[in-house]
This record gives sequence, C-alpha cells and structure tokens, in this order.
Amino acid sequence: MAYALNEDQQDCLQELINVAMGQASDQLARYLDTFVFLTVPNIELVNGQGLSSSLESNTDSTAVVSQGFFGYEGIRGEALLVYKHKDSDRIGDLLGYEPGELSVEEQLIDISSILTTTFLNVFASQIENQMSYSAPKLLAHTQDTVDDYIKQISFDWDMALKVNINYQVTDYSFNCEMILLIPAAAIENIKTVIDRILEDY
Amino acid sequence: MNSDIELTQVTEQLNSGILLLDLDLNVVSWNRFLAVHGDQKISAAKGKSVFDVFPELPKNWFECKVASVVQLGTPSFCSWEQRHHLFELPHTRPFTTDSDFMAQNCTFLPFNTDGKLTGICILIEDVTDVCHYQTMLKQTMFELEQANRMDGLTRIFNRKHWEDTLAKEFVRAKRYGNQLSLIMFDLDKFKQINDNYGHQCGDLVLTETASRISDMLREVDVFGRYGGEEFGILLTETNAAGAKEVGERIRTILSSTPVTFEKQTISFSACIGISSLNTMQTRYEDLISEADNALYSAKTSGRNQVCLAPSLRMCS
Repeated sequence: MAYALNEDQQDCLQELINVAMGQASDQLARYLDTFVFLTVPNIELVNGQGLSSSLESNTDSTAVVSQGFFGYEGIRGEALLVYKHKDSDRIGDLLGYEPGELSVEEQLIDISSILTTTFLNVFASQIENQMSYSAPKLLAHTQDTVDDYIKQISFDWDMALKVNINYQVTDYSFNCEMILLIPAAAIENIKTVIDRILEDY
Repeated sequence: MNSDIELTQVTEQLNSGILLLDLDLNVVSWNRFLAVHGDQKISAAKGKSVFDVFPELPKNWFECKVASVVQLGTPSFCSWEQRHHLFELPHTRPFTTDSDFMAQNCTFLPFNTDGKLTGICILIEDVTDVCHYQTMLKQTMFELEQANRMDGLTRIFNRKHWEDTLAKEFVRAKRYGNQLSLIMFDLDKFKQINDNYGHQCGDLVLTETASRISDMLREVDVFGRYGGEEFGILLTETNAAGAKEVGERIRTILSSTPVTFEKQTISFSACIGISSLNTMQTRYEDLISEADNALYSAKTSGRNQVCLAPSLRMCS
C-alpha cells in the first residue's frame, strides 16, 4: 500500500503519540482536577467504507463532534469525538460552569475542543510544529440522529490514517473516543516529518 | 514598506472584531470593527475590566472559558448555534433579518509575548447572515418533515410514519420487556355514508374521528391513518386491559355524537380490534395482523364493537 507507514515510521509515530498522550493527560488532570485515563492508541489506515462501518457498529453513540486542525508542513486532519454515555450532562461541573449556565450541546463542544486541542498542541510541539483549529461542530446529538447522520455521510474518500484514543474520566463516569483522521494528501507530509525525526536519532 | 504597519492597516479594515485582553481581563486594545460597532473609544476603555466595558458578558461563563485558554494554552470557541452572541453589537441587516444583535462566532486564543502568555485575544466574527439563513433552512426542514409525516386530510400521522414508529416501538418494547398494545379500528358502513351524503360528508366524518380521538389520547400514543377509513393507535406501556378501556372510550366517543352535514345529522360508529405484545410475536406485522383479526371478529359480530385478539380471547 502506497500510503502505509513502514515499521520504523509506525513505531516512531506510536512513540510520539504515547508521549503526547502522557503529557496531555497530565495537563488535563491538573486542569480538570480529576484523573483522566487514555488508552493505548490504535493507529491504522482506513478507507471511507471501513470508517463508516466501524462508526455504524458503535450503536450506543450519543453524540459526535468534529474539529479540523492544520499546522505547518501540510500536517492537517479532522478530529471526531464520539460520546457513548448519556451522562454527559455532568461535563459542565467538570469544567467549572454553574448548573444551567450552558446547554448539553455547549458542554459537549467545549470538552471536545479541550481534549482535542490539548492533545494536538502537545503532539505538535513534539514534531516542532504548531496547530491551528477550526471551531468544533456538533454533527449529531442523540442516538437516532447519530445513526442517521453517519448513514448520510458519503465517506467517499480513498484512504486516511486513523488514530483512535479513548478518554475516560472515571470520577464523572465520562467516556469518549477521539478519532483523528489524516487525509491521504497529508499522510506523505507526516511521513516526511517522521523520517526527519528518525534521521536525527 | 513596514509589514507590521501594513498588517495593522488591514486588521483595521477587517469585518471581524479583534479584542485583546490582559490576564486580569482588562482591555488592552481592539480594532476598528469593535470601536465602530461597540460605539466606544479605545482611549476610554483601555485598562478597564472587560465586564465594565461590555456589561452584557456572562461573567462566570467567560472566566471559565478564559481559564481553559490560560491553563491549557489551547484555543476555545463559542458558536452562534449554542450562544447567539456574546457581545451586544448592532449588525448590518437590521431591516432584512429579525436578529436584534449581531450573531457571532467567537474564538478565544492565548496571546504570547516572547513565548510567554501575556493575554487573551478574542476574535469576533459577524455571522448574522449565516444564522438567518440557517434558521430559515431549519424551519423549512422542520415543516417538510412534519408534512412528510402527516396525512393531508386528517392531520394525524400517515401510514408510512405510523408504521415506521410501530416498527421502532415494537423492537424497543421487545428489548426492554415493556408492554405495548395496538388498536386498529375501522368506520362502520363508511361506503354508505359516502354514497348517501357524498364524499365531502365522508371526509367530515374522517376528520371528526381523527380530531375526537386525538383530543382523547395521551401525548405518547401514536395515532395514524392506516388506509381509507381504517386507523391505528399504538399505546406504549399499556397492557390489553388498558387498551380495551381506551377501545371502549373510542367506541363511545364516536357513536355517541353524530356529525352535522348540510343540516343533516349523520350517526357513525367504528369496530375496534386490539392486540398486545406477547412472546410469540417476532415481527411488528404480527401485532398488526392480530389486531386485524380482532377487528374482523368485531365486524362479523355486528357494528360498534370492541374485540380483543384471538390470543387475548374476548369480545364485548
């Protein structure tokens, strides 16, 4: 496969992500004043169909938030945050807002942006880059609309590099999955960056 | 050309607001957009708390927002879709939209000087136009969706939507072991009403039937027109006894009061069949055919009758 990362590249990316996850979870724990657990990331190449069926098999999804990111050297992609539990209405407490001060939608968007940008900022500094972000968008909320929404997306693209990270904030029984998707055109760019890092070692 | 000065000229012309605050949330600077729309002079605002300059800001919310930017060094966003506006600013379409204030997308960015965080930069985008058209689109979509679900004559659910809902509720009730009952009913001798008094009279009986029963049902009951003069009601969390009670009330509410059409009084009635969810049924169609069987028994035993499905065995 033309886009596939070789073993060294895959290991290097895995290591960069591991380090970024460690720092991000530390920062988040301090900011949120509670433990944040991140599971071992899963890195793979997917095509549109593969992603669509893996999203559809996630039948208990209750919300999806999308946020675009872009940095120097053509590093860009889209982050999807998939929420599973209905008890996401306690996110407001977690973020320090007063009850009723913000809607469930706003809470979801706020926490999504915090999780995505904290992780990607650390990741970007690992590769001596700097990320900018688009505003996060709530694609669908409530189980019915998530299913409908996913069915409506055409997923009409060939290949993407997919990184899955699971976030757990056990004190708030809060659980979500971050799916970073890097489009085909940017995979070459990230490989260039990885190769440079490998050369330095 | 000094590129810094050139860029300042450009930011002054931007159709977006730029507001710079220090870490104590005092105003440091803003661009022309905010000066003009806010109708305030920077010289008067400089050094003042942002909450004094813009008293409309939700203080606690704003401080939480800034806290994440300061502590995590990440941007934070606020979209018109969740919060129509933060700053009460006038906009450029006061006559052709019904927005009182400019709809805004705001971005909170960390502002660094020599690699050290020294303030917060807030970008304010005017999205009144987007908000206006998106709201119109949503309204239209909602109306279309409603129209797509409704029966044109009786204004209750049409067959398709009713059956889709039944299918979903059937699966849900099966999965969670909830009770579920179905009432199917059919107006007696409806063809005769059409033949004797004309189709307009028939239509009146149909709309009158729909409206009397709609008024009687709970919010959670799903009432639809199944076909010609046949109707269906899905009763969630209801057992056969409960459904039978509803069936009796329907029978009475229809037969007790005639309709008046062109000064003529026309009595009408319905036969009612009832089925309830049991472990034997595997598809929602089973529930329909059991209610249909009961309806058939009601028809054969006379008019104006309520019958339960064979599995429930009872006729009144």
